[in-house]
Amino acid sequence: MDLDYQTVVAFSKSWGLFYMIALAIGVLVYTFWPRNKKRFDQAKKSILDKDDKPWN
Amino acid sequence: MIAGLTKAERQLSLAVLTVLALCGLAFAAIGRNDPIGTHGFIILLVAIGVACVVIAGYYAPEPDKEQLSRYYDDPTRVGIILSMAWAVFGLFFGVWVAALLAWPELTFDAGWASFGRIRPVHTTGVIFGFGGNALIATSLHVLQRTTRARLPDQFSPWFVLIGYNLFCILAVSGYFMGLTQSKEYAEAEWYADIWLVIVWVVYFLIYIRTLQRRKEPHIYVANWYYMAFILVVAILHIVNNLAVPVSFGHAKSYSLFSGVQDAMTQWWYGHNAVAFFLTAGFLGMMYYYLPKRAGRPIFSYRLSIISFWGIVFMYMWAGSHHLHYTALPQWVQTLGMTFSVVLLVPSWASAGNALATLNGAWGKVRDDATLRFMMVAAVFYGLSTFEGSFMAIRAVNSLSHYTDWTVGHVHAGALGWVAMISFGSIYALVPWMWNRERMYSSKLVELHFWLALAGTVVYVFAMWNSGIIQGLMWRTYNESGTLAYSFIDSLVAMHPYYIARTLGGLLFLLGALVGCYNIWMTIRQAGGRLVFQGPEVDKPALTPPALQAGE
Amino acid sequence: MPNFHRKLERSAIGFVVAIVVVASIGGFVEIAPLFTIDETVEKAPDMRVYTPLELAGRNIYIREGCYACHSQMIRTLRDEVERYGPYSLAVESQYDHPMLWGSKRTGPDLARVGGKYSDAWQVAHLRNPRDVVPVSVMPAYRWLEDNTLRTEDLGLHLKAMSRVGVPYTQAMIDNAPADAYGQANPDTDFAAGVAERYGEATNIRAFGGKPGQVTEMDALVAYLQILGKLTDAATASNVAAKAE
Repeated sequence: MDLDYQTVVAFSKSWGLFYMIALAIGVLVYTFWPRNKKRFDQAKKSILDKDDKPWN
Repeated sequence: MIAGLTKAERQLSLAVLTVLALCGLAFAAIGRNDPIGTHGFIILLVAIGVACVVIAGYYAPEPDKEQLSRYYDDPTRVGIILSMAWAVFGLFFGVWVAALLAWPELTFDAGWASFGRIRPVHTTGVIFGFGGNALIATSLHVLQRTTRARLPDQFSPWFVLIGYNLFCILAVSGYFMGLTQSKEYAEAEWYADIWLVIVWVVYFLIYIRTLQRRKEPHIYVANWYYMAFILVVAILHIVNNLAVPVSFGHAKSYSLFSGVQDAMTQWWYGHNAVAFFLTAGFLGMMYYYLPKRAGRPIFSYRLSIISFWGIVFMYMWAGSHHLHYTALPQWVQTLGMTFSVVLLVPSWASAGNALATLNGAWGKVRDDATLRFMMVAAVFYGLSTFEGSFMAIRAVNSLSHYTDWTVGHVHAGALGWVAMISFGSIYALVPWMWNRERMYSSKLVELHFWLALAGTVVYVFAMWNSGIIQGLMWRTYNESGTLAYSFIDSLVAMHPYYIARTLGGLLFLLGALVGCYNIWMTIRQAGGRLVFQGPEVDKPALTPPALQAGE
Repeated sequence: MPNFHRKLERSAIGFVVAIVVVASIGGFVEIAPLFTIDETVEKAPDMRVYTPLELAGRNIYIREGCYACHSQMIRTLRDEVERYGPYSLAVESQYDHPMLWGSKRTGPDLARVGGKYSDAWQVAHLRNPRDVVPVSVMPAYRWLEDNTLRTEDLGLHLKAMSRVGVPYTQAMIDNAPADAYGQANPDTDFAAGVAERYGEATNIRAFGGKPGQVTEMDALVAYLQILGKLTDAATASNVAAKAE
C-alpha cells in the first residue's frame, strides 16, 4: 500500500487524537502528582528572592 | 561595553565581523545590478561600524574575576534601548500607513512610501523590531535570575542582539526597495532568512548552555515559555521560508511550495508566529515581571504548567482557520476551527492566573502604572484570545475574514497585550538595570499608560465598527435578490473609521515617545557610569527608598 | 511518571526535545497530507504556465505589496461568487510560488479580474486610481510606465521556477527575454514565438500602450489580464454557489 491521500489523512486523524489524549493525561498527572507540590511551591516563590548575584 | 569582553572574545568579535564584512562585500560585488548589492553595502557598513567600536575599546582592561562572577546585563540594557527605538519607528510607520487609507496622496508620489511597501515596514518594525528586541533583552535577564547562573560567555549575547537587529534592518530596508517574499510576517528575502537562522541557533545555544549551568534545580516556568518561543519560531521560520533564489546575485527567490500547500504552510507559520512569538515569549515576560513587580508569587504554578503544554500543543493545529471557505480541504478547516475554540482554555487559564496573582494587591495596581500596564495586558490577552477563538468559527469567519475586524483583533492583541506587557516589563526592568531607585517620573509612566490605553481602545473600536459594517455590506441583498452595495460603497463607509484608527495609533505613538523620554531621563538621572552596589541591587517593587548613588 | 518528567526537566536537552515533538505534531498532521492532495484535486489539463512577461508582472505585484489589500481567493459563499465570479479552485494556484491568496480586502478580490477591464482602463487606473474611481484609496503607481522592465535575467527566473516544479521547457527558459519583449510588441518578429510556446490564446498586445519598449506597466497589466484565465477549470466544472 502506498501513501495515498486517504491513508495519510486517516493516519493523521486517528493518531493525532490518541496523541492528544495521551499528552493531556501525561501533563495532568505530572502537574497534580502530590510529590511535585513542594517543588512547584518553591519555584513560584523563588523569583521573589532579593539577592542579585549568581550562586556559586 | 567592550570592557566587559575578554581579550579572546574581542579577537573573536573582530574575526566574525571580518567574515561578515567579506560576505557583505561579496553580495555588493555579485549583486551590483540588483537590490541585493545595496544590502551587501549595508552589511559591510554595519560590520565596519561595529568593528570600529570593538577596536576603540580593544585595549581596555579585561574584566576581572569579580565582574565575571556577576550577572551579565550589558546586552539587556542595549536591547531595551533598541526595543524602544524600534517601537517609535514601527509605530510611526503604523500611523503613516493608517493615514494612507484615509488620505491616499500621502505617498508623495514615491514608490517606497506606497501602502504595500510600508505596511511590512510597520509590521516588521513593531513585531520583530520592538517585540523581538524586548524578548531578547528580557529573556537574557530572566534566564540569569531564575537559573542563578551567569550567561556562559560575553560574546554570544552580543552576536544575537546585533545580528538580530541586522536582520531587522535588512528586512525593513528591503521592503522600501520592494524586496519581499509576500509571505505575511515572513517577508524578508532568503539571505536575511539564512542569517536569522544563524543568529537564532546562537540564541538557542545561549539558553541551553545557561540552563545547563544553572544552580537552581527547577527550571522556572517563564523559561519554558521563552524556550518554546525560541524553538518553535526556529521550526516555523525554516519551513515557511524554504525557497529557491533566482541566483546568488539576485535578492528575489521563489517559494518552494505553491498554491494550497503554500497557503497552509504560510498560515501555519502566520498563526504560530502569533502563538510562539507574540504569545509564548510575552507570557514568559508576564510570568516573571508581573509577580516580581507585584511582590507576590504567581497564583497557581500548576495552572501555568497546564496552560503551557496546552498552548504548545494546540496552537499548532489552529492555523487553518485563516483559510475557511477557501480551496483548502474542509477537514483541515474543521480541525483548525475546533482547536482554535479549545485554545480558549489554556489562554484564559494564563490570563486568569495573571489576574488572580493580583488579587489582594489591587491597591498596588491602582497606585503603580507599571503594574497596571501588566494588568491591562492580561485583560487584553484574555479578550483577544476569546475574540480569536470566536472568529475562528466558520460562520463568524465568513463575515469577519478579509475585513478590518481581523485588523482590529490583531491590534487588540498587539497593542493591548504585547505592547502593554512589554512596556510594563521595561518600566520594571529599567530601574533595576541602571541601578536607579525608580523611573525618572512616575507621572510620565501614568501618562504613557493612559495614552496607550486610549489609543488601543479608539483603534480597536474603530476597526470593529468598520470591519462588521464592511462584512455586512458585502453580503447584503436587496429585495430583487441582487447585491445591494458595490465594493466602492463599502469603501466610502470606511472613511470615518480610517481617520479614527489613525488617531488611535497616533495616541499610542505619543505614549511610546513619552516612554522613551522617561527612560532616557532615568538613565541620565545619575549621570556617569554604572557602579555595582553589592549583592542586593535588585529591589522588589515599591520598597521604601534606600540611599543610592545619584539620588 | 513524575520522576521521568523531573529528569526530563533537569536535563535541558530533554525538555527541548519535548517541546519540539509536542509542537511539531500539529503542523505535521495538518500539512503533511496536503502534499499528497494532488490525487484528489480536480485536474486542469488546459492549465498553462505564466509567460515571462506575466511572471515579471506578478513579481511587480509582489514587490509593490498589492497582496496586502487585494485577495486572490474567492470563497465558496454566495455573495462572493456573485460579486467576483466562480469560487477559486486549488488547481488554479498550483503554479503560484508563492500563492497570493491574501488576507485582507481593502480593495476588491482580483482572482478573476483578467479581462474584466480594458488595458487602457488598467493603465489609467494604475497611473492614478482616482482618475477612474474618484473615491479610491489605492496609491498611484505613475512610475511603472517610466521604468523599463528588467528582462535580461528572466531566463534565470524561469529556471528557478522550474526548480520548484513549474513545467517550463528549455525553449521557454532560453527565449524568456525575447518572449517578454514579443508579448508586449505584437508587430515584431518576437511575437510569434510567444504564441508558439504558450498557446494561441495568450494575450499578445501592447498592454501599456507604449510600443517599441517593455515597461513595468506592460508586465503588470499583462499579469492582471491573465488572472483567473490560466485554466477554465472553475467555469467548466460549472460550480454552483454553495452558499451556507
